[in-house]
Amino acid sequence: MKSLKNHLSVIIPLFILLFSFQFVVMLERVVKSYEEKLFSDYSIVAVAISELDKDSLKKKIPLIKTVEILSTKKVINKFKDDFSPANLALLKTSLPKFYSIKLKSPPDEETLKKIVEKLKMIPSITKVETFEKSYTKIYNMLILAKTISNVFTVLIFVISVLLIFKQMEIWTLQHQERMYIMGLFGSPFWMKSAVLYKLVFIDSIISATGVAVVYYFLPKLEKFQESIKSIGLNFETFRLIDDSLVLLAISIFITLFSVTLVIFKQRTEVK
Amino acid sequence: MDKTIIHAQKLQLSYKKGEPVIKNSNVSIHKNDFVFITGKSGSGKSTMIRSLYGELPLESGTLRVCGIDLDSISKQKLNVLRKHIGVIFQDYKLIKEWTVEKNVMLPLMIAGYSKNVCTMQAHKLLKHVKLLHKADKYPLELSGGEQQRIAIARALAHNPILILADEPTGNLDEYSSEVIWDLLKGAHHHLGTTVVIVTHKIPSTLGINYKHYFLDGGVINEVS
Repeated sequence: MKSLKNHLSVIIPLFILLFSFQFVVMLERVVKSYEEKLFSDYSIVAVAISELDKDSLKKKIPLIKTVEILSTKKVINKFKDDFSPANLALLKTSLPKFYSIKLKSPPDEETLKKIVEKLKMIPSITKVETFEKSYTKIYNMLILAKTISNVFTVLIFVISVLLIFKQMEIWTLQHQERMYIMGLFGSPFWMKSAVLYKLVFIDSIISATGVAVVYYFLPKLEKFQESIKSIGLNFETFRLIDDSLVLLAISIFITLFSVTLVIFKQRTEVK
Repeated sequence: MDKTIIHAQKLQLSYKKGEPVIKNSNVSIHKNDFVFITGKSGSGKSTMIRSLYGELPLESGTLRVCGIDLDSISKQKLNVLRKHIGVIFQDYKLIKEWTVEKNVMLPLMIAGYSKNVCTMQAHKLLKHVKLLHKADKYPLELSGGEQQRIAIARALAHNPILILADEPTGNLDEYSSEVIWDLLKGAHHHLGTTVVIVTHKIPSTLGINYKHYFLDGGVINEVS
């Protein structure tokens, strides 16, 4: 019972720490996926009185990925019944050209402003619409959510590491007498501390496996899948092998680092 | 070949700088000696023993044990020295979470012997101290006398050059004490191990030649 309690005192904070780390990773993926979706739907609309040279435009603004002319067919069709064919032909030639400009990467406010300025400097362009408000509002909200989650994760990380350190100190004190006696017979440092390293290694594996299992099965829940589909996202929440290995590496590193630090701190007394 | 196992010159030991417990003492113990260090309570007997296995640094003077200088000794070298020494304590210092067998195996495990060799040697020694039937027990399940016999078996496991015993019979009744003296005499007689014992009283029925140092006022004097 005492041994189980001892193990849980390491496993629980380590589990919480890894869980929050993986949560940040997952949130990062959600944000990225949402960002991609948002960006794939996003384009700048430019109105020009004459046809634009797409290549020179791309040269002038390297961030431009594609420039496509928007069809005016729909507008002309609206007037089909009311206008004579001659007037329709005249309307067709006098209508300005509408261009949809897609960018290579999501722009921040500053970049967007510079792009607009450059576009407006082209004489044939009369108007540029960036739809900036709706784009940046959602984007900023996502960034805010990400920042808040990062702050919480850092706090959880600090608290968990402190709890793990405390438990390591308790373990080291529990094993101090044994380590002292082993030292009296010339036991090297690694041999005296082997039990502690073995304990933390086992707990690291248990915690990392626990978190991997939760994140592997959580996205398989119907409710989770429904909510992801409802916002039109498509992303891999948990990469079984890659993410599990990262979790295990973090887990082992933190526990081994803590136990080594605590043993070295008490080494003079343990001599 | 140098047969000196312990050589101390102008040895000064203290827990607090400037307040020596052992001062200006000279000791010379040779191979196969059986030595008693006696003195009143608080005279520094245990301090002397602690310095011999390198637990207490010297304040001044020189101390050489099994050919190794203890003055500013490194941790690695100290481990080497301790592999040649068997220590016995008044409070036994057995690892209570380990079985009797594993406790006896400790010095052999440290020396790097295989598990089979460790087990064989442990069983041989447990048979010698007449406790083989208790190999699977834990120290706290044994009496004081039995625990001390286990401690002796452990001290002998790696065939040490030197055995240091700090009040080995201090907590034991007369019968158990006699068993312990017999075991220590046996190790000295059959294995040629040098034995240094710190005690407040030398047993009257020992029946062997021994060297006697007496600690008085912080100075070690050779009595016989």
